[in-house]
Amino acid sequence: MLKRKRWIFAILAILPTLAVFAYVRLYPIADTLRLSLFKWDILSKNKPFVGLANFRELMGDHLFIDALVNTTIIAFGVLILTIPMALIIAALIFHRTRSRMAGFYETAIFIPHVVSLVPAAMAWKWIFDARLGPLNALLTFFGIPAQSWLFDPVLSVICIIVLCSWQALGYAVLIYIVGFKNLPVSLYEAAKLDGASGPQSFWYLSIPMLKPITLYVSVVTLVSGFNVYAQAFVLASDAQGAPGRQVRVLVLDMLENSFRNYRVGYAASEAVVLLVIVLGLTLIQFSTLRERGKA
Amino acid sequence: MKNRSAKTRISTRALLVSAAFGAALLSGASTVSAETLTVWSGYPEMAPFYEHVAQGMKAAYPKLEVKVEAIALREHEKRVALGLTGGQDGTTVIELSGSTATRYLENDLLPEAPADISTFVKDPKNFDKFFSDTAGQGGKIYGVPLFRGQGALYYNTDMFKAAGLTAAPKTMEEYSTYAEKLTKRDASGKATVSGWSMRLSGGGQGIAEKFWINMHQYGGAILVPAGEGKWKPNFANEAGRKALKQYLTNIFTTKTVTPEMPADADAFERGQTAMFIRESWVIGDIAKKAPDLKYATAPLPKGSIALPTNLYVAGKGADAKVGWEFAKAANSPDNLVWLLQNVGWLPNRSGVDYSAVTSKQPAFAAFVDYPKGYEFFTLPSIGPIEEILTRVAAQLVAAFGDASLAGDDAKIDAFLKKASDEVNTILAREGLAAK
Repeated sequence: MLKRKRWIFAILAILPTLAVFAYVRLYPIADTLRLSLFKWDILSKNKPFVGLANFRELMGDHLFIDALVNTTIIAFGVLILTIPMALIIAALIFHRTRSRMAGFYETAIFIPHVVSLVPAAMAWKWIFDARLGPLNALLTFFGIPAQSWLFDPVLSVICIIVLCSWQALGYAVLIYIVGFKNLPVSLYEAAKLDGASGPQSFWYLSIPMLKPITLYVSVVTLVSGFNVYAQAFVLASDAQGAPGRQVRVLVLDMLENSFRNYRVGYAASEAVVLLVIVLGLTLIQFSTLRERGKA
Repeated sequence: MKNRSAKTRISTRALLVSAAFGAALLSGASTVSAETLTVWSGYPEMAPFYEHVAQGMKAAYPKLEVKVEAIALREHEKRVALGLTGGQDGTTVIELSGSTATRYLENDLLPEAPADISTFVKDPKNFDKFFSDTAGQGGKIYGVPLFRGQGALYYNTDMFKAAGLTAAPKTMEEYSTYAEKLTKRDASGKATVSGWSMRLSGGGQGIAEKFWINMHQYGGAILVPAGEGKWKPNFANEAGRKALKQYLTNIFTTKTVTPEMPADADAFERGQTAMFIRESWVIGDIAKKAPDLKYATAPLPKGSIALPTNLYVAGKGADAKVGWEFAKAANSPDNLVWLLQNVGWLPNRSGVDYSAVTSKQPAFAAFVDYPKGYEFFTLPSIGPIEEILTRVAAQLVAAFGDASLAGDDAKIDAFLKKASDEVNTILAREGLAAK
């Protein structure tokens, strides 16, 4: 009887949270899946069922393909840049600065993560500015020719990766530091007695033991990388002097199809593709890192 | 029992008082809403004009409250789409281009104008057929024409003098030779002031519109009517090649302009470019931001784009009447002269004497006193026009960054064919493609 009451209490306690989650998360996902099967125009009265026609059209849409390729490059670029840097910085902060300065470094590196996206992107836009930006001033000071950072499509993608990594780094470092704090000190002491150097301990002890942290950080970083929007919008589109639609990302493409071309059903099919990709990559990450963990 | 009866009486009185108070509130709200207008504009510089119109209506409507909400055009378009489909409260006067309004009219999201307004708009003494047609559909009138965007060349007369040029270019070939003479360069030969600021970058449909304007001088068009409400692209041809080649020559061969250089009105006002093509609103903008700039305007070689913007009224019954009155008041001769003088957008109404403004500001002459046979074109009133322009713009931006296209006619033709095919695909999807 008591057990049943506990169950009822637990369900009642969790119900409001579940209801909110279902309303703001699950329902929109389900509705997006539904919309992707319709020619759903905001303005039109007729919203016919078109089956998989939206998905078929996506496969031949070069803007969507460009957006998908750019987004994938940005997401993996941010992942590749952020994870090793975060790991090294976290290790340095944890092992080298066990003083009051550690807090300062943690705060300093975490600040970009909490700065609003648009002002941060505006600041970086100035840094990358071809004519007035300090980056080109620095390059020319060393005799390197100035670059069209925000017009050249390849360089623009690199700029977006740098900006996104700068913002993602603080969070990843903080999580890694928490991970370092939870590693058993005895193992390091034993390794030291066995003659292991600092880098050896880091490579053979820290990295394997931090795998759950790495899994979490990499999933979060990759997912946020696939959702890149404001950074690309501010740095590389709409304003003159920007490469316009060449640096197209998925969320931007969806926004344009929904609210500019009023093709909500088509944009929903893009969202479904994005969902499948992110879900697939997350599962792969989980299975890969878990397998390695077992090994 | 007595107490209960007293309580009942008190409750009844309270109920009656509340009901009376509520009714008074509701009637007050109704009165307020009848004379409260919201104006949605996509041009922030138009806000003072609408406030001026509202001020002028005070005599006839002393209680009229006009709330002007003028925001950036793209945001305005989103607001209109969501506002009209979500159910608009109260009466809203909405500023929309004829081509954008089409999709709302097709879906009955904007009401027909009342008879008196329709008569006013259809009267050829008030508006040329070109303008009344863009404010209607199927013989019915849905909006009141107000102003138009029309292109002309702006040129810096000081820079012209320094380059030994005495008059504006008259042919497209001259545009390029002038651009070479006007470009200022640093010691390494890199352009620091562009000779001719062409729209090369950015994300919006403006790139395609500006390309269309230049291509129009050669006889090409992004879209042309093909009869029975169908359309076809008309730029995978010699006109398209000439227009694109001119862009590529300026970017990669003579290097009079680069995509990274400051462009458009801002650059012109700061002396960072010598020539550019834009609408008449720039005159007002220069007056505010660079009053000492020495410049003149000139018509384009063959003709220009003309993008009429109309006022539509969302609202029902008597409440909407004041909205239509506002749209008509905006078209009073006094207000239109004020519009041209203070904002710079060209009014569409015929028979109004603008000489008081044009005599003071000769730069308007290129927009008003154009040569005989000057050919205007406008954006087709079809649902996917913005998608088409945005996609063509995306292609063009890629072309403007591709040096291998310059000087290679076969490659230019292949590029134009690809862009044209994409336009045809969109037209076919919407059932608008000519066979």
